[in-house]
Amino acid sequence: MPRLPARSNHRRVAITAIGIVSPLGRGAAANAAALREGRDCVTPVTAFDTAKCRSKTAGQVAPMPLPDVARAGRLHRASHMMIHAVREALAGDTAFKPECMVVGTTSGGMSFGESYYRSQVEHRRDRDRARLVANYPPQKPLLDAMSAAGFRAPLQIIANACASGTNAIGHAFRLVRAGQCSRALCGGYDAICEMVYAGFDSLQASTTEKVRPFDRARTGLVLGEGAAVLALEEWESARARGATILAEISGYGISTDNHHLTQPNPNGIGPELAMQRALDDAALEPGRVDYINAHGTATPFNDASEGLAIAKLFGPGVPVSSTKSMMGHSLGAAGAVEAVFCVLAIRGGFLPPNINFRERDPAWDLNIVANTSRDARVGCAVSNSFGFGGTNASVVIEEARA
Amino acid sequence: MRAAVAGIGCVTPLGCGMDEVWRRVDAGESPELTRVVNPETAREHVVAPVPKAVLAGLAHLGREPRMRRASPISLFAAAAGKAALADSGLELAGPVKSRLAVVFGVSSGGVQYTRRFYEQVVKQGANAASPLLFPETVYNAPASHLAAMLGVDGATYTLVGDGTVGMQALHFAAQLLAINDADHVLVVAAEELDWILAEAHHDWRLLATARTVPRSPAGRRGAIIAEGAAAVLLQREGGRATIEIAPGESFFSRKDAAGALSAALSVHSHRGPVDLIADGANGTWVDDPIREAVARNFPQPPKRTLPVKEWFGEAIGCGALLQVVAGVDGLARFGCASALVPCIGWNQQAAAAWIGRCG
Repeated sequence: MPRLPARSNHRRVAITAIGIVSPLGRGAAANAAALREGRDCVTPVTAFDTAKCRSKTAGQVAPMPLPDVARAGRLHRASHMMIHAVREALAGDTAFKPECMVVGTTSGGMSFGESYYRSQVEHRRDRDRARLVANYPPQKPLLDAMSAAGFRAPLQIIANACASGTNAIGHAFRLVRAGQCSRALCGGYDAICEMVYAGFDSLQASTTEKVRPFDRARTGLVLGEGAAVLALEEWESARARGATILAEISGYGISTDNHHLTQPNPNGIGPELAMQRALDDAALEPGRVDYINAHGTATPFNDASEGLAIAKLFGPGVPVSSTKSMMGHSLGAAGAVEAVFCVLAIRGGFLPPNINFRERDPAWDLNIVANTSRDARVGCAVSNSFGFGGTNASVVIEEARA
Repeated sequence: MRAAVAGIGCVTPLGCGMDEVWRRVDAGESPELTRVVNPETAREHVVAPVPKAVLAGLAHLGREPRMRRASPISLFAAAAGKAALADSGLELAGPVKSRLAVVFGVSSGGVQYTRRFYEQVVKQGANAASPLLFPETVYNAPASHLAAMLGVDGATYTLVGDGTVGMQALHFAAQLLAINDADHVLVVAAEELDWILAEAHHDWRLLATARTVPRSPAGRRGAIIAEGAAAVLLQREGGRATIEIAPGESFFSRKDAAGALSAALSVHSHRGPVDLIADGANGTWVDDPIREAVARNFPQPPKRTLPVKEWFGEAIGCGALLQVVAGVDGLARFGCASALVPCIGWNQQAAAAWIGRCG
């Protein structure tokens, strides 16, 4: 969607805090260490039986205790992840008071919906059914997180499939930049569940072996899970109260590719438009970008479309990696998780690796950060997310400069 | 957050479009209630579906390339969305189309395909589950189909939430206009029925049981869940009405909920008496406190109250937007200057919109 000429009164948007739970670990420090190490955190699925699935692995978050949360055992795993992520962010910036919360997800507490259905099939007179129904909706983990963190705010939940997390960050960014609010908490979450796992398996989108984004012999994705949030604040407001500014969000682009419900247009027009619009929004030339955290699911179709778009827009120079190679595809959380990874790369001066990479695809000339992380100054990063339904989204994240 | 309403559309258990709805309401008709049966337990629930005759009238949409395998929710969304565009007279071409965004609100989503797909996983095994079903289970499938039908290549968003999600979608759309991300936003909300949806509402004590549903909706206890779609085309100025949305805060308990609704209503109460209320009471402990909260914040009775959920049933994620459609339509139909749309969700948010008539 072409934007009208940029207004001169656009405000800058600071990231003042982050929180993350992923298969790589709990908390920003653990995730940064795993990214540097290039740790493969994809393991055999334990949450449900995969005997009748082609694929058997996923990136899974280890159980997290919440001893101080009342009746935590009754909450969905997604609530646990969101509570940890939100608490980490707000502990990192205790003066941050969100005026709104914008979060992406694809499936909410779906595994509770599965249990509910099974209770019907198995004719269980289950007194627990009401709890399953109450904790199934996508808003519940977010309300639980707000309650546990001690704040409340208007909530917007974006379900644009795998682009949801980036859409949530992008929309929150635009609200702050335009002065619609001064502080927004944004991010994404998803917890792995049998139905979605079986869904990708039925589409033969998931792989039976290692996940190899952008590899010539890539065979598909593995699913993951996680939660991540970013505290966004109008730049001058953050500076005035002495907040630590971790990075700056400077651009957001969205496009809709009407080619097919589950497959991108092979000409790459959807990703290209999203990235171009994000760069235009940030008033940046492609040559200014130091790192692209690609959507990179490792499905033949996605990587072909995205690879083509990156090569066309950026040429062969810019380093590209898909961190899904380490933790799988966390769907609605992916955009938020990967935006946090970009912040960690900028802050830590390194390029996260694209592990399991063996052979470049001759279809495009990309500078893949193959298998091991690299030390590098990252002044500007682009994070991509593309989803079912043809929704494509990109955000531009830059190092904090006064 | 303020915007202008350029067009409205709806698909309901009382027909397509408000003219048809009013014809049937004036004739004293109620939705044709049917029973859905839980095949696992044989338990029956009373629901208000979109009638077969209405579905037959939408068959042409089902022949669109992207809609052949789509579930009813996508069909309803497409029909309501196209009706709102037609109502507005907006020509979708060139720069107008490139600056049109789609915002879709939903609570339960494509529950028919979701239940069927998981049923196959459970009963036949994941290796037998149909890959044709799974893509239609994602929340944003209806929005994707609608965007493809309209040729929208810019912003398409799907919002999920409780029964207020239609209002949240309107608020989101107004934000897109305010931050200059779009010049027009087509806001659509839709739901479809399935036995498991009725069963879940029963387990949460929200559903009217077969034994307690009287022939007249007045006085019933519990909601009749329904399906359908509502659509509103928003733009910055002009149109047939202005709408200002107070999105409300989130709440954590029913006690909090009443306060959240009062806070949302108080945003509008300084305007004085309201002419028309598009009511959200649905016969349950969730929504019926709306009437008390409205009476507290707007003590002077309105000229008219539209019992929207008595007409249509509780259409969950599209209920609030159906209230808005009824409110916008009611302004012109009854010569009112203002309408209030209060809504309260099951477990997330309360919201209220003020609609003012233009011209």
